[in-house]
Amino acid sequence: MNAGGPAFDIKDCTLLTKMSGLPPVFDVRDLRDRIAVCRPSVIYHHYCETPLSPSFDYPDFRNDFAVWSKRQLEDNILAERLGMIDPYTFNSMEDLRNYTLDVIDERLCEIHTVTSVEPGHEFYFQDAITIIFDTGHVIHDPSELQNVIPMLTYGSVYYHFLEARRRTRGAVDDFSIWMENFGKEWEPYIEALRSIDFLFYTLPELKQELTSVLRRTKGTL
Amino acid sequence: MPLSVDFYTDVVGAPVIDQLRRLGERLKGVNVVHVNSTREGGGVAEILRWLVPLMNDLGLDAKWEVITGNEPFFSVTKSIHNGLQGYPVVLQKKDWDLYEDVNAQNNERLSQILEEADFVVIHDPQPAAQMKLMRNRRKGIWIWRAHIDISRPYYHVWRNLKPFVQDFDASIFSLNSFAQILPHEQFIIRPSIDPLSEKNRPLDKKYIRDVADSYNLDRHRPILVQISRFDRFKDPLGVIQAYKIVRKVYPVQLVLAGSGATDDPEGQEVLDEVMEAAADDPDIRVLLLPADSHLQINALQRLADIIIQKSTKEGFGLTVTEGLWKGKPVIGGDVGGIRLQVVSHYTGYLVNSPEGAAHRIRYLLHHRSKMRQMGNTAREYVKDNFLLTRNLREYLTLFLYLLKERGYSLYV
Repeated sequence: MNAGGPAFDIKDCTLLTKMSGLPPVFDVRDLRDRIAVCRPSVIYHHYCETPLSPSFDYPDFRNDFAVWSKRQLEDNILAERLGMIDPYTFNSMEDLRNYTLDVIDERLCEIHTVTSVEPGHEFYFQDAITIIFDTGHVIHDPSELQNVIPMLTYGSVYYHFLEARRRTRGAVDDFSIWMENFGKEWEPYIEALRSIDFLFYTLPELKQELTSVLRRTKGTL
Repeated sequence: MPLSVDFYTDVVGAPVIDQLRRLGERLKGVNVVHVNSTREGGGVAEILRWLVPLMNDLGLDAKWEVITGNEPFFSVTKSIHNGLQGYPVVLQKKDWDLYEDVNAQNNERLSQILEEADFVVIHDPQPAAQMKLMRNRRKGIWIWRAHIDISRPYYHVWRNLKPFVQDFDASIFSLNSFAQILPHEQFIIRPSIDPLSEKNRPLDKKYIRDVADSYNLDRHRPILVQISRFDRFKDPLGVIQAYKIVRKVYPVQLVLAGSGATDDPEGQEVLDEVMEAAADDPDIRVLLLPADSHLQINALQRLADIIIQKSTKEGFGLTVTEGLWKGKPVIGGDVGGIRLQVVSHYTGYLVNSPEGAAHRIRYLLHHRSKMRQMGNTAREYVKDNFLLTRNLREYLTLFLYLLKERGYSLYV
């Protein structure tokens, strides 16, 4: 059934990390030098793809640079500044790179000594390959979404809710953009989805939050 | 019944299985040959035991071949293995000649299978010479999968091995710190465990009690367990030292259990040293188990209050993953893949000495609720990230990517 708007094709993605070819980082100067020259996809990986990488950890911060600054470099100020960068608010990876370099340069002016981490605690610049594919599942009506989200893989959640921000107008998620096709009644849902502070969720948490937000919004109408 | 990804639906959920099936559809009929050096013992054989049948279940045509060799060959490969992990070993030209000769004998038997493969995955250094020995390498994409910690290899060993691995099309390492300077792409695939294998599946309480009784373990006193090969890098003597410090104040029992591997001739020597260190202490059990003792190992891990993995070098440390999957805190050496799995104060503790291990054992024994909390956290992380379904997905992703790079038309 088509309720008046286009159908929504659910896609999935898988990610595999690979070495960037850059030497490892032992201090903040190394970090700056590598960020200045690495490929844009490397910056994207360390800022945005962290939730898709297998981990045993529940870090305070949601990008790899901030996590390393806190855990290994033990520079909490740098970690806090890097940790609050929202990569999806930048127009390009170059803008994000330049902003990151500014943050690091400012910190380099403040510190008296540049300390190095012990071998084994260095930072490795990585890149990733992402394969995106159709799942064959299609949704025709936004009301189906609440029941479909629990059935999505983390790859689908990542692709439609986080990665979408790179390729959609207004840097928003695929679900809310699709809902715009279905009239005013879906506006509260659109607003609710766009209000999710996604930077602070792991993918399992985000999946749960998406379902909860849709359920809560339905309850208030 | 052949192993199928569908068996894992209850553990990981239908979406994960559906995702694997969709990736498999795009690789239908692709011929993959895995080669390693043993069918029994050690983490690689365990991985291949599920990886190969599951690839077949998803529609690929996967095979598992094992190179054979004599005792001198495996002594050389053990030295190579130790050298890659940073141990200064002496290997002479005759040793490298033997390495190549035995690989050449195997290549006569394997060359046709390897020639026909779309992908050849060579596991660890033992069979790495296979690619260089191929006279007719027509279409296959060759991948070297290094499972061991070669972050700081003994240079003379790495220098001699590198010519055998540098011409591969890609390599896979378990951690980014293990990657070396090589002229091809290097991917990171973390290992995983099989939640339905005999080593990890749920066991009934009676069986666990029977295992405790059979090894004369007192279930009312704390039990520390380290499961690993008898290998110097696993530091079993350090574990005994830590146990002895704890034993002065706490009535703990220690189990050191492992099986021998056909490609590890050094194991007996280490076992003898361990037996000597454990002699006269009735609360230490040193168990050399047959290679197929998976259920006993599973039970021992479930009997443990704390899992120990005090390695001084470690590739990934699947025994750590197994312990965490069973909801146990792990005290592990601050090395290799253990660092990735044991997050101090969260899933266990990383330690750097027998004294450090003893300190953390005592701390946990005094904080039982912390142990339970760590165990619950650990199990969830393993479920989301370190089960074989993730590992399998990453292999499929790699195959799709490499085929695409070679210009094969694939709809993804």
